[in-house]
Amino acid sequence: MSGKKNNSRQNKIQLFLQRNSVPMMFILICAVCIPLSGFSAGHLANEIVTRMGRNTFLILSLLIPIMAGMGLNFGMTLGAMAGEIALIFVADLQIWGIPGIILAMIISIPISMLLGWMCGVLLNRARGREMITSYIISYFVGGLYLLVVLYMMGSVIPIKHATIKLPRGYGIRNTVSLLNMRQYLDDLLAIRVGGVKVPVLTFLVIGLLCLFIVWFRRTKLGQDMRAVGQDMGVARDAGIQVDRTRILSIIMSTVFAGFGMIIYLQNMGNMPTYTAHTQIGMFCIAALLVGGASVERATIGNAFLGVTLFHLMFIVAPAAGARITGDSMIGEYFRVFVSYGVITLALVMYEMKKRMEKGQAGQELALAQREEESGK
Amino acid sequence: MKSKRRIFFCAGAVILLLVIAAVMMVIGRGHTLYFDNVTLEYEGTVYEAPYKAKITVNGEKAANLGVKDRGMATWIGQNFEMLITLTEEKGGAEQTYAVNLTLPYGMDNIIVNIPAVMAGLPQEAWCTEFIPAVPEEPEEEVPGGEDDLTITDDFDI
Repeated sequence: MSGKKNNSRQNKIQLFLQRNSVPMMFILICAVCIPLSGFSAGHLANEIVTRMGRNTFLILSLLIPIMAGMGLNFGMTLGAMAGEIALIFVADLQIWGIPGIILAMIISIPISMLLGWMCGVLLNRARGREMITSYIISYFVGGLYLLVVLYMMGSVIPIKHATIKLPRGYGIRNTVSLLNMRQYLDDLLAIRVGGVKVPVLTFLVIGLLCLFIVWFRRTKLGQDMRAVGQDMGVARDAGIQVDRTRILSIIMSTVFAGFGMIIYLQNMGNMPTYTAHTQIGMFCIAALLVGGASVERATIGNAFLGVTLFHLMFIVAPAAGARITGDSMIGEYFRVFVSYGVITLALVMYEMKKRMEKGQAGQELALAQREEESGK
Repeated sequence: MKSKRRIFFCAGAVILLLVIAAVMMVIGRGHTLYFDNVTLEYEGTVYEAPYKAKITVNGEKAANLGVKDRGMATWIGQNFEMLITLTEEKGGAEQTYAVNLTLPYGMDNIIVNIPAVMAGLPQEAWCTEFIPAVPEEPEEEVPGGEDDLTITDDFDI
């Protein structure tokens, strides 16, 4: 009896270690790097809180497609591009401050919905290969974005201000200044706790999204998404419109990614027009995975833990690298290879698990057949 | 019935978003204001610039202007409020006035003439648009140039 108990406890610990190996590895790395970096606790807390406000919304936008079984949505870049286009319009209209942020979010909605719908339809045609397909779609739409922003804005799409346009008269400059909305969301209702600036309003917005996700999981559509995520065949037999549900999950993710990008860029105060979105998907996905999420399972807690650990490493790794080797770039390289490495690891683990499950199912089927034959 | 209700809710949501967007466009319109403390002649009358004019916007000191000086502030919205503390002559007493102005929506950069504002003249007298001169700039390097987007093969054949 006690042997059985011991076994189950051992299994539980093993499962816990398996599930949380990535966050634990990162905690270990951070524990080593923090004292080496020489940063004070106050500085680190300030940086983490700022980065949390800046990135968490974007990371949370990844949760819904995971729920619907579509894996990590590399197509969130599409939403980021929609957010950027909206910000260009708002900067040209000279709408500043919080109203500018709200207007940008509203303008981004139809663009995100259109791009999300297109992405969802394509992903339905590439079932089982959603992640790589969404990754390539983001490159494809990146090309369209260049066409629109570089050639159509100012020539076909009216852009009034010379400060935004390239000197040749059409196309948008490499950097669009968002100084007039810089940290407006973060500064409104901000409080200082022990020298650390806490952007209360930004956290409230993030909290609202968390509440929405929790509520959404309990709705009919949320339940449908979970069912589709677990087994598409069973979901279809149960009368769920699988394709529509999957498209909706991608649309929602894209819209939230657009909002997240606007929150991210208002915090930065300027927009690198042609590069802001390129790495955002990769870093958000890496952060979510660092938080202990997997391709098929992610929670709000994973997003928060991930953003904390991933960005803590962002802050301390270059300084620790400089301390150890005298070259801060070593820390930078470390950071880059760890972020890509963790994505690779997650994908490999997912594929291995899938194959193992397939193998197990095959073995069980063979056993059942053998039993049936011996029974005859 | 269900689809009718859905259409009704969708249309409602779209209208709500459009209304919010319209409100944001009005209340969030940003302006850069330049305060000119210069003598103005309007309809044959000369309005002398005061010796000193201190301008406070949003509780913060925006400008401290002598005669022929220019100051600057930014403002979000159409109803501009400021406090002007005037000293008419050297050594004279200071007097503070609260001033409300309605800013024209279409102007980004507005020059506000202080003597005209203090005399209560109409908008056409105190407001002129400031159009910054665009300097000749060298062509900015843009993405999509030959270096970025040209696809070449690895062997350069």
